Amino acid sequence: MAVTPSPTPEPATQRVGGLELPVELLRPAWGDPYLDLDDYDAESDVMALNLGPQHPSTHGVLRVKLFMDGEVCVRAVPYLGYLHRGVEKLCEKLSYANVTPIVDKNDYVSPMMNELAINMTFEKLMGCEPPPRAQVIRTIVAELQRVASHLLWVGTFCLDIGGAIGGGASAFMHTFRERELILEIFEELTGCRFHYNHHTVGGQRHDIPAGWDTLVKQTLDHIERRTFEYEDMLTENPVFKARTIGVGVVDPKLAMACGVSGPVLRASGGDHDLRRDAPYAAYDRVDVDVQVRTEGDIYARYLLRLAELRESIRIVRCLIDDIPEGPICALKAVKLPGAVKPKPGFAYTAIESPRGELGTFVVAGPGKRGKGGPNPYRCKIRPPSYHVLSLLPYIAPGENLSDIIAILGSLDPIMGEADR
Amino acid sequence: MIVDHPDTAAWVAERFGWQTADPELGPQVPADQLVALATALRDELDFAYVVYCVAVHYPAEDEIQPKFKEGEEPPPVIPAKPDRCLVTYRVRRLGPGTTTFGFHLWVPTGETCPSLVDVWAGMDWQEREQYDLVGVVFDGHPDLRRIMMSEDWPGHPLRRDYAIDTRHHPWR
Repeated sequence: MAVTPSPTPEPATQRVGGLELPVELLRPAWGDPYLDLDDYDAESDVMALNLGPQHPSTHGVLRVKLFMDGEVCVRAVPYLGYLHRGVEKLCEKLSYANVTPIVDKNDYVSPMMNELAINMTFEKLMGCEPPPRAQVIRTIVAELQRVASHLLWVGTFCLDIGGAIGGGASAFMHTFRERELILEIFEELTGCRFHYNHHTVGGQRHDIPAGWDTLVKQTLDHIERRTFEYEDMLTENPVFKARTIGVGVVDPKLAMACGVSGPVLRASGGDHDLRRDAPYAAYDRVDVDVQVRTEGDIYARYLLRLAELRESIRIVRCLIDDIPEGPICALKAVKLPGAVKPKPGFAYTAIESPRGELGTFVVAGPGKRGKGGPNPYRCKIRPPSYHVLSLLPYIAPGENLSDIIAILGSLDPIMGEADR
Repeated sequence: MIVDHPDTAAWVAERFGWQTADPELGPQVPADQLVALATALRDELDFAYVVYCVAVHYPAEDEIQPKFKEGEEPPPVIPAKPDRCLVTYRVRRLGPGTTTFGFHLWVPTGETCPSLVDVWAGMDWQEREQYDLVGVVFDGHPDLRRIMMSEDWPGHPLRRDYAIDTRHHPWR
């Protein structure tokens, strides 16, 4: 009797980009962004539909040209640049210390992250290390900013879904009420509600005022209680679930190839977070519990952002009681604008912003008498929103028009940083 | 076949024979070998994630004779350099212990740079942005259009010879 060899079991996971991913997550069915519509089904009646640029659900001024076959999208072509302000050109003309308030406006819902990203690159070029007190304050404001950014996302996403959850505007008002409390914390620290100009090369510009840590702790307690109200409102809401579960599934392999990181990658099963994997600032002092989900749909992104919000609150609580004493800036603040003249060279650093990897690549040019120049020769900002939007031509085909609005909202693009 | 190689620069030096001068920039790659290196990085070393593609414009430079005192032997002349662009790439391996790897090539003005769209889908918009703002033409890109500026915009704004106060129509 012949014995048939038992088939070798299929591997349950596959390694892609340094991550072990379950095989069932890797769905190679992507839409074709370069689909030639002349070759498309001759019987069908393809209609071009313009979405944006002035449309509330495009989160700014994004224009997407949708080719629809009935109610189903067959090709999506995003058009960017409506908010292009030439930030990178401006950075070439400004001195290193004066770049910070300009990049504030890139990702206008988390300005602290922009400042941190670009100043870390300048510090790498200068070879200077911020003092421990500055590092801890940086981490605290970054996490508070993440809380504010995710709160804003929950609200605006409910607006995008619109009528499904009673108009959506009630959730929007609730989250904006809590976000306002974070802005008040920052106002206490820097004097500004927005566009703080708080970070500088080598450290911080403002030391924390007396009683600030108490204010932070009270506010976080309040916000954490409120997050459970959002859960009551949304997580088990049958209409919300019907609109989000199984919609807009992102393949982690595609997300990596497009350079997408942050909540979108983590909701698709990618266990990657720069705060844990390449710690910067004071993240080596805390254990970041990286939230990962494997569904990859809009609902997973929503649950993941809420979990990240609570994780950020936990990180701030770990750090707020133990801020080291000492100076807040490694360079003398008075002499700063002229003091920053790094030697010619190249540097890239990245941080984990609320949307993913926010990095800056800076080329320091030569100045007079063989020294460093006063302004960057070339400054490239690598925004996560730009990469997230490049995912759209791959995932939009095959979806309904109303689902495309929900998908766009769930990706959380900020056009200020995508267009720069 | 994916190998765990801690030092990618050493792996590239062993496989292709290119040395790395600046760790931030990585090795300099000949244009005809760029796609081969990118494919090897993606398939063999598991660099699945695109970080960036940046072009940096360097205008033409004349021949420079460094100053010297009378009676001394003149120092060697710094040769003239053509108008050119430095195109740098960076890719990342994700997960715990994440590493990035950069590589670069020099593209003289008038020549094209090979496109990496077929290797990483995310290079599509990166290359379009660099084409739009710096003017590097990527050979083999399926859809090389402007992305930030309007279709009829004159010039490429991030070139060094493009003045920041260049006048343009107010309705653009």
